[in-house]
Order: sequence, then structure tokens, then C-alpha cells
Amino acid sequence: MTKIVEVKNIEKIYGKANEKQFKALSDVNFEVQPGEFVGIMGASGSGKTTLLNILSTLDTATSGEVKIAGEDITKLKNNEMADFRANKIGFIFQDFNLLENLTAYENIALPLALQNTSPKKIKPAVDSISAKLGLTEILNHYPTELSGGQKQRVAAARALVHNPSIIFGDEPTGALDSKSARALMDTMTKVNKEDNVSILLVTHDPFSASFCDRILFIKDGEIGQELKKEEHSRGEFYQEILDSLGTFAE
Amino acid sequence: MLNKLAIGGIKHRLRDYSVLFSGLMIAASIFYMFLSLALNKAFLKSNSPAQATAFIFGFGIVLLAIITIVYINYANKFLLSMRQKEYGMFMMLGAKSSKISKMIFVETFAIGAIATAVGSLIGIGITGFVGDLLIKNMDMQVSHFNSFYLPALLWTFVFFIVIFIFSALRNSISLRFTKVMTLLNMDSQPTKLKRNNAWTIIQSILGVILLAIGYWCMVKMGKDATFIFLGVPVALFTIVAGTYFVINSLTTTIINLLKRNTSFSQKGLNNFTLSQLNFRIADYTKILSMVSIMFALALGAITVGLGFRQQIDTVANGQNYYDASIRNINNKEQNLVDKIDHKKLTVYEFKNTKKFTYYRNSDLESQGFTYNKFSKSMISKEVPTHKSNPSVAFQLQNTIPVDEAAPQAKFVSDAKFDSLSGKPETMTFVKTDSFKNNLSTFKKISEIQAARYPAYKQFGGDKYSVYKNINSFFSGLEFMGFFLGIAFLAMLASCLMFKILSGAAGDVKRYNMLYKIGTRQRSLRQTINKEIAVLFSVPAVLGIVHVLVGLQMFKPLLYKPYMHIEVPFLIFFVLYLGYYFITRYLYKKIVLK
Ligand SMILES: Nc1ncnc2c1ncn2[C@@H]1O[C@H](COP(=O)(O)OP(=O)(O)OP(=O)(O)O)[C@@H](O)[C@H]1O
Ligand SMILES: [Mg+2]
Repeated sequence: MTKIVEVKNIEKIYGKANEKQFKALSDVNFEVQPGEFVGIMGASGSGKTTLLNILSTLDTATSGEVKIAGEDITKLKNNEMADFRANKIGFIFQDFNLLENLTAYENIALPLALQNTSPKKIKPAVDSISAKLGLTEILNHYPTELSGGQKQRVAAARALVHNPSIIFGDEPTGALDSKSARALMDTMTKVNKEDNVSILLVTHDPFSASFCDRILFIKDGEIGQELKKEEHSRGEFYQEILDSLGTFAE
Repeated sequence: MLNKLAIGGIKHRLRDYSVLFSGLMIAASIFYMFLSLALNKAFLKSNSPAQATAFIFGFGIVLLAIITIVYINYANKFLLSMRQKEYGMFMMLGAKSSKISKMIFVETFAIGAIATAVGSLIGIGITGFVGDLLIKNMDMQVSHFNSFYLPALLWTFVFFIVIFIFSALRNSISLRFTKVMTLLNMDSQPTKLKRNNAWTIIQSILGVILLAIGYWCMVKMGKDATFIFLGVPVALFTIVAGTYFVINSLTTTIINLLKRNTSFSQKGLNNFTLSQLNFRIADYTKILSMVSIMFALALGAITVGLGFRQQIDTVANGQNYYDASIRNINNKEQNLVDKIDHKKLTVYEFKNTKKFTYYRNSDLESQGFTYNKFSKSMISKEVPTHKSNPSVAFQLQNTIPVDEAAPQAKFVSDAKFDSLSGKPETMTFVKTDSFKNNLSTFKKISEIQAARYPAYKQFGGDKYSVYKNINSFFSGLEFMGFFLGIAFLAMLASCLMFKILSGAAGDVKRYNMLYKIGTRQRSLRQTINKEIAVLFSVPAVLGIVHVLVGLQMFKPLLYKPYMHIEVPFLIFFVLYLGYYFITRYLYKKIVLK
């Protein structure tokens, strides 16, 4: 089976050659298998967002190779990148990033409309994902009329509606209270397990991370440690994460 | 320290401030430009044959004042929105609210005062420039026109200073009494869209009724000039209010219908564009109504201005078929005539006696003679003539001053003509393909003739003299038309541009998000183009309808107000399109990376 994400020796240097340079990522290697739920953890400034931006074609690596669903994204042109994001990737950001002038329904339908899916097929797709995420009641609300947790679930529905190869999340629970965070992570786990959607999640919240199958720790732009859930319960895994964070931070 | 920080904040938002500043400057300069005509009684009196001109200009001042107040109000809100987050932060960190409210007062007032001063100077410059341009290039005869007119300058200052004192007060009060938390979160509170269907329907009906009343008034004014004193204020009110209601209700209704049509709306970014527009128009209603009124005023003014210009030509050309009639042509005149390219010369010999002016029969038979005749509907027709037409001789004789000419004119045979005792003279008629294009030559000829035959100065029967008379009569109106047209166009463009650009910062996030989820740059650009195109065309469409109806008002002054209407429309369209492209370009520069 082709790997969903394949990262080989990527390096990211901010700043032009003649300016002050900063190496945000150095020699990062890892893979994500289909259907895997992977978390990336690390201190602030360790390079998590940088890595995610490169994986999602929003930014380019200075060197190295990135393959998503078998396709080498470092060689894509501008339009191809846009199409790639539209077709293969779903996003959930920390600050929701819903369009306030569209209703929840319209926000969720947007990726499909962008792919020129026929309107007849849009409605069932939106309805089914909304039902799964418990959003049916609020589809006609505007984002300002929703709670933070609801907004984030709408964002998740938008990320999922077009059946992307992988979902990227950058601190999706970062702005949520613990109850909403838990609801969102439950939902993510559900789509991961039931629909076999691959998920790559950046977080520094151990609780959210405990929902993942595998966790990569990143420090100063390098992947330092890896933790697998395997047969552990979520509670045990949570404890394990806390422990590693303690040792890893030193 | 706080002051230093505040000024630092300005530096960071230099682009926003330059948008704000240029918007205010344009408002001040246009206001001055308008007042320099409207307050100049001597100018109005000497340049307009219509009694009501001063009265109409009075209403113009009121209208422009309202527009300016709305405009500055927008600008002020823009300023406040830029500052409140920063000032909210200062307050959160412990700055006293009295100190903060003083700072925003000073800032608002200072920006306003500087913009007014610079704007007025620019206004003087533009007034002079536009005035010169029109007077020189279009051969207008305008008196008492001054680019620097002190009362206009003073009133501009007074008006703007008062408005800015109010704005500054308003800003400082609103900062003082808003909670710090609200200030900090101001950005993330988009205007809510509450739609009440019944109210929408009432608005559209009300809007159409109001417009109908306004239109009826304008048509009536065209038929009955005494109605002006009631008609102008009524039309002004009903059309402004009607425009507002129609824009507020009809456009959103259309957008919602389009949205409901899923096969259209669910395609690509269409739904996003529609929603964006829906929000926009709710927020833009006031400015779009204003722009559509100004659009109508500007286009109307230019159309009427050009109408007067055509009127000059039509009347001059309609009265005289020949572009010049030269008595006993001399060398100098002959040289001038020789220089004209496409021409036809007709030469008549004549002898003036006590009883008759005699002409040669043979001249008529070999060359013919054409004159213009006004029909009842005031349309002039060319009449080619031959001997049997009794008025030919009379028309010919018309080119000789009245007190000099004999009571009657007569055609005679060559033999008879030669035997007559009077002094033989010639009259050379020149007909060219365009009187207008050879205007300067005909002017010289007319002047030479007047010098050689002083009686012609009084008589003024040649085409150039006719032209000169009508030109001086209509030039003033023509000048006002163009001048105001240009002023209103500049004002409307800056209003719309200002509103669109001042909202751009808030759109950055939205477009950035669309980009992130995989929208191609091209699609983003297209949706921006469409959006701004709609914002530009809504007021344009209404404005055009206003003008088409409004021209009815000028029926007493212009006998064919709709003739060649495509010319001003085209000029206007090109200028407006230019503004559209500039706005679009600037907007994209702000919104897209
Ligand atoms: N555009 C940029 N130009 C220069 N340096 C940058 C840029 N973006 C990020 N950096 C630097 O790269 C490093 C990694 O940043 P990144 O945003 O990836 O961190 P992060 O792990 O996401 O942190 P956080 O948990 O705080 O979000 C930081 O030291 C940051 O200062
Ligand atoms: Mg980050």
C-alpha cells in the first residue's frame, strides 16, 4: 500500500541567503500509513507549524522530498498546488477559519463547490458528514451564532466533506475548553476508525495527543522521539505522553 | 510615551492612513470646487440665462453637504476601527480612559484639519486647472470665474472644521464608554445579517413609488418651469430616498434569488461571491445610494453640458447654410479661404441701388444657392434653390446689413446688370465640411469683414457672429455642466474607492483561507473582479436611469436633450471603467499576496 505521507530529509531555512538565516527544520524524516492517526508534539517554536505548512503545500521546503499519497509535492506548480490542496487535503486550524459570511452549511459545501461537484451531489455529502458530526441542527447558522466547539466541528466537517487523503490539523483544540476539545477529538477518532481517514495533528496538549495512534516529538527542528499507543488505553497513553514530555524537555 | 506609541501605530498602518487621508482631501477639494461656483453670485448671474440657477445651486450645496457628511462619517469609522484595538490594548495595560479619549480627539481633529487645508489647496489648483482646460479647449466664454474664491475657501474650512470637531468628539466619547473587552474584540464582530422579508417587500415597493414621484416631478419641471421651486426639493428627497430603498431591498432580493438557484450558486466560488456581496450591500447601502446619486449628477451634468455645446452648433448651423459670406473678398481673406481644405465657393455679383439690390441671373443658374429654413419643429432644413423660388433673392440679400440694403432684391440678365449704374460688388459664400473645425479661420474672416465694413459689427448676420452670440449665451451653462460633472465624478469615485479599500483589510483573512483550502489564484482574482464589478454597476445602472429621466427637465433649455447622448455616456463609461480598474487593482494588492 502507498504511504500517505513520506517525508525524506527535509530542511527549512527562513531568511534569504544574504540576510540573517534561521534553520527551522533540519533533516526531518517520517512516514504516515493509510488510516493512521499521528500526532506531532513539541515546544513552542520547535517547528511544528513550519512542518505542517510544508506538508500541506502552503510553504516549500528548502531541500528534501515530500510525498503525499504517492505524489511528490515539492515539484508542483502554483495551480497544481491549489488543486492538490482542494482535492487531497483537509484542514482544521486553531482559529476556526470559517467564513463569517457563509452559513455552516455553505462553509462545509465550499470544498465541493471548488471542485465543481454537481449541486445534486453536494447536498447529500454535506448532510451525511453533518449528521456524523452532530451538526444537522445548526447548518443554517452563521459562524457568529455558533460556540467555539461547534465552529471547530464545522471546520472538521469542511475538512472531511470531500474525502481527502489526509486531514491536517494545527492545534485544532487550542482554542477550545476541555469538554469541546474532548468532543472534537472523539469525532476525529470516530472518522479515523470508521472511515479510515488518515490524520496528522499538531498539538502541545497531551490530552488531545492521547487520542493518536503514534506521536512524534519534535525539538529545535528535529524529530527526537516517537511514542506508540499500541495496546495501551487512552488513559495509560496520556500518562506515557506526560512522562516523555518531562524527559524530552530536559 | 503613550503619544510616541500612538504615532508608532500610525507608521505601521501607513497604507491605511494614506487611503484615509487622500479620501478626506478629495472630499475637501471637491467641496471647495463646488462652492467656488455655487457661492459666486456674479458668476451665476452672468453665466446663466435661467433665473432658477442660484436656487438650484443652493440645493446642490445641501446635497453635497449631506454626501460629504456621510463620507466623512465613513472615514471616521474607518479611523476608529483602525485605532480601537490599539487604544483598547493601552487601556488594558492601564492607560487612563480620559487620556486615551483625549488622544483620539487630537488625532481625529489633526487628521481632519490637515486634510482640509491640503484638500482646499488642491481644490484651488484643480478648479483653476479644470476651468482653464474647459475655457481654452472648448472655446467657452465665461466671466467672473475665479479659481481662488475666498468665500468658498472660508466656508469649506468652516464646514469641515465643524464636522471634524463633531467626529473627534464622537470618537473620544465612544472610546471612553466602550468596554475594553469590546474594543479588543472589535475585529471579530462582523455585521449581522438580519433579514425581514415583509420589510424587504415594503422597502422595494416604497422605493419604486418614491422614484416614480421623483421622476414625475422631473418630467413635470420640463413642461412647466414654475414647478421648479417645488419640484427640485421634492425630486431631490424622493429620488435619494427611493434609491436607498431600492438598493437596500431589490439588490439583496436578486442576490438571494441567485443564491437559491443552486445550480448557479453551488458552482465554484459563486456562493462565496454572492454571500460576500450580500454582506457588503447591507453594509454599503448608504454609500451605494450616494454614489448612484452622484453618478446621476455627474453624468447628467456632463450630458447637459455637451447638450448645450451641441445646441450651439445646431443653432449656428441651422441658421446659416454658408459658413462665411465675404463681401468684396480681399487678398488677406482670399489667403485665409485658400487654406481651408474641403470647401465650395459660390460667388455672387451684385449692385446696390436705392430701390433694388440686383443680382445676375446667370450666377444663380450656374451656381445655385442654398439656404436653411426652420420648420415648425425647430428642425432646420436645407433648401436648394432656383430662380422660381421667390425667397432666394431675399435670402441672398440677407447677407447685406439692413440699413444698407435696398428694399427689394432682383435677378436680372447679364446685359441689364452691366448697364446698371450702381457700384459692382461681390459676395463670396464659403461652405466647408465642418464649420467647427475651421472655426479659427472664420473668426479671422469675420473680424476682417467687421473692420472693413463696420456695419457688420452691428448686423452680425454671418455664421461666426451667430455662433459667437449663442456661444456666449450657452457657454456658462456648458461650463457649469462640465465642471460639476468632473467634480461629482471625482467625488463619487473617491467615495466608492474609499469604502471598498477601507474594508479590504478585513477581507485579507477570508481570501487567505480560501487560498489555503485550495482555491486557485485565478479564481480568487475572478471573484474579486466580479464582486467589485457588481458594486460599481449597481449605482451605475440606477444613475443612468436617473439621468435618462432627468434630461426631461432640460426640455425648455435644450430642444433635443437626447440627441447624441451616446457621446457623454461613452466618455463617462470610460472614466468610470478606469476607476473600476484602479480600485480593483488596489484592492487585489491589499487582499492577495
Ligand atoms: N516566516 C518566518 N520567518 C522567519 N522565521 C520563522 C518564520 N516562521 C517561523 N519562524 C521561526 O521558525 C521557528 C519554528 O516556528 P513554528 O511556527 O514552526 O513553531 P511552532 O512549533 O509551530 O510553535 P508554536 O507551538 O508556538 O505554534 C520559530 O523559531 C520561528 O521563530
Ligand atoms: Mg504553530
